Amino acid sequence: MPELFKTVETFFTLQMPYCENLELRRTVFRFGEGPRVAVTSGIHGDELEGLYVCHLLAAWLEQLHATSPASLRGTVELYPALNTLGIDTLTRSLPVFDTDLNRNFPGSPDGAIPHRIAHAIMGSLAGADLVIDIHASNIFLREIPQVRINQECADKLVPLARMMNLDLIWLHSAVTVLESTIAHSLNSNGVPCLVVEMGVGMRITPEYCEQLVTGILAVWQELGIIAPEVRLTPQLHHPLVADDSNVHYLNAQTSGLFVPSASHWTDVHKGELLGTIVSPHHGGILSQLRSPVDGILFTLREYPIVYEGSLVARIMAVKQRRI
Amino acid sequence: MIRKELLLMTAPVRDSVEIPFHDIGPASSHPEIALVAALHGDEINGTYILARLADFLRSVEEGNYPTLTLRKRVLIVPAVNVMGINTRSRSWPFDKNDLNRMFPGSPHGETTQRIAYAVLEATKKARYRIDIHSSSADFEELPQVRVYYPTDAEKAGARLFGLAAIMERRPGPVFSTTLMNSWKVWPGESYLLTVGYAGNIQLKHCQDVFNALVTFLGRTGILEGVTLQEGDQGVFYFTRGHEARVYAEQSGMFVSDSQVGRWITKGQELGYIYDSFNGNVHTKVTAPATGLLTGIRRQPLLFQGELLLRVCTKVAKQ
Repeated sequence: MPELFKTVETFFTLQMPYCENLELRRTVFRFGEGPRVAVTSGIHGDELEGLYVCHLLAAWLEQLHATSPASLRGTVELYPALNTLGIDTLTRSLPVFDTDLNRNFPGSPDGAIPHRIAHAIMGSLAGADLVIDIHASNIFLREIPQVRINQECADKLVPLARMMNLDLIWLHSAVTVLESTIAHSLNSNGVPCLVVEMGVGMRITPEYCEQLVTGILAVWQELGIIAPEVRLTPQLHHPLVADDSNVHYLNAQTSGLFVPSASHWTDVHKGELLGTIVSPHHGGILSQLRSPVDGILFTLREYPIVYEGSLVARIMAVKQRRI
Repeated sequence: MIRKELLLMTAPVRDSVEIPFHDIGPASSHPEIALVAALHGDEINGTYILARLADFLRSVEEGNYPTLTLRKRVLIVPAVNVMGINTRSRSWPFDKNDLNRMFPGSPHGETTQRIAYAVLEATKKARYRIDIHSSSADFEELPQVRVYYPTDAEKAGARLFGLAAIMERRPGPVFSTTLMNSWKVWPGESYLLTVGYAGNIQLKHCQDVFNALVTFLGRTGILEGVTLQEGDQGVFYFTRGHEARVYAEQSGMFVSDSQVGRWITKGQELGYIYDSFNGNVHTKVTAPATGLLTGIRRQPLLFQGELLLRVCTKVAKQ
């Protein structure tokens, strides 16, 4: 066992215009021979749930290492803040360069800065046995803890996703633009990458984070990072599987103030009122949103102002029993 | 000339959001040419050019130019991102989505998808489709025609503008969400004009592009009676193989008074990078090759690794 089992390393540095550096950092736990796993988050600067997950994982590893160092093997890398400048400045996209960092993968060693950052991240994660990339929706929508998987990768990733103590696996069809994401790029390079979506932007939802940590530890135990005899928190969540055929989108029919009637993450029935859109200028109701199916309200609008077309809710029609 | 609405949408605390356009010339089922600008709300060169073009064509229609006749229907959208123009925002200001990442759009989807759908529906059946952009506020582009995975007709048609630089581009997956990509599904020719930098109007560039558009309208027979120069001497077709780029090895402040559109020689001094704390010049920036200066940085604040300038050579690298 190396003397320093945990290090915080800078794997990419770029001089900024005035005196400071843009640095990308990872925390690396080295427990000797064994598999290598990673958790990434904060690729969008307004998504903070993953930062707390990284903290909880670090705390769990530090505690187990202090009491039972032989129970851990391999390497764990935490990348809590990939868009470090965005997190520092409350910006979803990459500040200055005004681009979604997660549309610049796999990147390139030269060329535009966002491509260089993406390339450095890819280089740092190359060869990992599993990467879990944690997202937190955006400021507009609240999501239940879920894994999203490109159908092209379903065979490889669904078995891992089932162990993650999450409530939904959403298999989505291949879309060309998503080829520029970190997950697609890693999976294309033979590094399995699971995308977790949960919670809401600019907030943390501690119970979701704790739920996900339970799942990540279970997967790590399966991979051999954590010794089999270590007793983990039991998994209480088992995922439903959604795909493009049973996910229904509700978009605002008019602009105004959305006031929800239903609670997020509840069973809803066809025709049930999910919320109303009202005008702050007068007392009438502009629009009522009703569930088109019997199902689970897994996405619900958190940010009240809506324009025509704003996504208000997603409902998964239940086509199978919980497993 | 008729002002019409591309899209009329309710708004949370205002009456409505409208995207107006000009419909000019003889009636027909589809416009012969559709011109669109300001999908990005900070790219106002295009809005200025197209508003001036609409004014000019209206004047032609009113008979103020006796030698000119508008033969075909022209559709002009000076700004798609209306709210972005008015609030000085590149993206759609409410949800910060980039409108040019929302195509082909959908009539039932997100707000920005509905806008994209309306733009595409109004323009896709035009024989010629032109989308005018600027670079970011940080980088000045010589007014140029950009073609994407071009057909032979587009390679030839790009020369009709008479602008010095035609740039062929073969972009990555993100291209699949742009207006240009959606246009290319339909028969016809699609061109993107990139003009100067965002956030302001560069008058000389705008005048050059205005003249280029009138030349194009003349050469395609849409506007009859335009006095045209013969041939396309001074028009160069550049691929990535023709480009020599200079990136900053160190950060700091980049200062240059070099002008795009000049022919420069290898080694020519083009600017300086200063240490922004102690003021020392730490890099003298020189031309990497002999050729046309097609782009140069205008934002002084410089990250290490950022693009400083691009020179296009007459002969492509092997």
